Amino acid sequence: MSLIQLLRVTKEYRLGRTTVHALRGIDLSFERGEFAALWGPSGSGKSSLLNLVGLVDVPTSGRVILDGRDTAGLDDGERAGLRNRQIGIVFQSFNLISVLTALENVMLPLTLAGTSSATARHAALLRLGQVGLEGQAHQRPDQLSGGQRQRVAIARALVTDPLVVIADEPTANLDAATGHQIIELMRSLNRSQSVTFVFSTHDPRLLDAVDRLIRISDGRIVDAKEAAA
Amino acid sequence: MISLTIALRSVWKNRRRSLATLLSIAVGFTAINLFSGYIQDTYTGLRRTAIHYEGLGHVTLAKPGFFERGGVNPAKYIISRDELQRLRRLIEAQPEVQLTTPLLGVSGLVSNGKISTIFIADGEEPESSARLRALPGEDRIWQQDSLDPRRSSSGLVSTGLAALLGVEAGGSATLLSTTLEGQTNALDLDVLGTWDTGNSATNDKLLRLPLDYVQRLLDTEGASRLVVLLHPEASADAFRARLAPLLKEAGIEAEMRTWEELSVFYRQVKNLFDLIFLFLFTIVFIVVLMGIVNTLTMSVMERVREIGTLRAIGMRRTGILRLFALEGGVLGLLGCAAGVAFTFAIGSIINGSGLAYTPPSSSSPVPLTVAIRPVQMLVLMGLLSFVSMLAACIPARRAAQLEIVDALGHV
Repeated sequence: MSLIQLLRVTKEYRLGRTTVHALRGIDLSFERGEFAALWGPSGSGKSSLLNLVGLVDVPTSGRVILDGRDTAGLDDGERAGLRNRQIGIVFQSFNLISVLTALENVMLPLTLAGTSSATARHAALLRLGQVGLEGQAHQRPDQLSGGQRQRVAIARALVTDPLVVIADEPTANLDAATGHQIIELMRSLNRSQSVTFVFSTHDPRLLDAVDRLIRISDGRIVDAKEAAA
Repeated sequence: MISLTIALRSVWKNRRRSLATLLSIAVGFTAINLFSGYIQDTYTGLRRTAIHYEGLGHVTLAKPGFFERGGVNPAKYIISRDELQRLRRLIEAQPEVQLTTPLLGVSGLVSNGKISTIFIADGEEPESSARLRALPGEDRIWQQDSLDPRRSSSGLVSTGLAALLGVEAGGSATLLSTTLEGQTNALDLDVLGTWDTGNSATNDKLLRLPLDYVQRLLDTEGASRLVVLLHPEASADAFRARLAPLLKEAGIEAEMRTWEELSVFYRQVKNLFDLIFLFLFTIVFIVVLMGIVNTLTMSVMERVREIGTLRAIGMRRTGILRLFALEGGVLGLLGCAAGVAFTFAIGSIINGSGLAYTPPSSSSPVPLTVAIRPVQMLVLMGLLSFVSMLAACIPARRAAQLEIVDALGHV
């Protein structure tokens, strides 16, 4: 059974009097341990698709099945619980909580899940170590570089041992070298810990690193093939 | 815990804006406390005035109907000597009672031989009356003299009346009234001294006379009221409730009024001050409410992406509500804490300044003081902090209702 299945998924937005068809009948699945990229130009529907996979949005029609569970009909609290425990999210602009230290940011999902402070701290330090930031644990986001912030965001996404980590253009706000390092980091975590990664990008330089490349255009999948990683 | 951490640090991060809100809460809190302290001090002073100086005691007993119609038909409501003795024995046996003292009201004309004017007086039992009027602790508002039990034809004249008649201690006057049977009667009075009633409405009318003098003037052996002074910690209402069945059991018909019911002036002042306090409290309440709503609305607008992020990583809508409610509560609590410091500082300055003022209808200045009451401050602190939390829920609700996708895309 696939880890994530999208069945005939559509997503429409109202923009004034116009209806924008962001996704037009997507059928797609992701397997455990995949390292997949959604690729396409701006406005092609990559972010909309990731939002549905990450349960931060609901489809206009169709079904999203996560680990065998149909997510249609879940109430807001249940969706929040699933996002907290089973999905890690990495944002384009890092989205760290500015008043918390790197360690507290990484602890946050566990704290929200009700994990004890000591356990959350231990797990967060472990993840910070894996992204090479054990020395910056007590620094606030504004004291970190862009690359370091994204590493903290990755550590935060991984700290609950989620089924899948989704990343919406994780390298868009980083220079090329740092962006490459971030992709390498995600790749190594995928290989060493079998973490499933699904991320979007329109940076052609990053496409060589992925197992599977899904090309989207105008809300439709135009090509989904195994890449030669 | 993490919500509290975020709330505290967000307040600190926006410290300039937070400070403005804190100050408005602190000033409001201080204003409420100082005004409340002032009126509480005033109530305490008025209470002591009513119980001791006006001689109302805690509870006054009279024949049923006296308080409504006693003035037009005093003979009907006279408590006879025997009834008075029974009543006093019964009441003085109660543990919360300090003393009882009978009064006999009289009014008429007082003359110095050339000028006549009206007077109002209560005939008092000099010994028990003096004990009733002795204040617990020092009294800074007035000084008083007592009647002399050895001189049954001497009395005290209010300073305004004494000035009107041109009499002073050692002088004399003549009192003219009617007996309970309706006969005109007159008696000479030796002026023992003068005293200031503390109230301009009564300072040119009042006399204090010995009970047996008034009994001779009215040709009776009874009294019209019996005043009961309780121990300071006793409740007048509770005592009245406890005494009523005992009186019924003893076959004594009597009506009871507490000092608060009899002191019209106290009630008027209290009603006025309570209204002003309510007005002030409402203004402060609105200022606090608007300050918090305004501050947190700005905070929500600046932190839309943060809200989206928190929701995306699993915080529920209630968690967002709690986060901003805590932030409001923190602002309220810190504002009140600053208010406590302001209240102590300003209250101490006022109490130590020796300022005095003459209140309306008072004939002499009274010290301006404010009571500083920590328990009341704690209650107010809790209340305003709670109000701040509630006020924060208005913008917090808006924040919690944001769609995650919209919040994350907010610039």
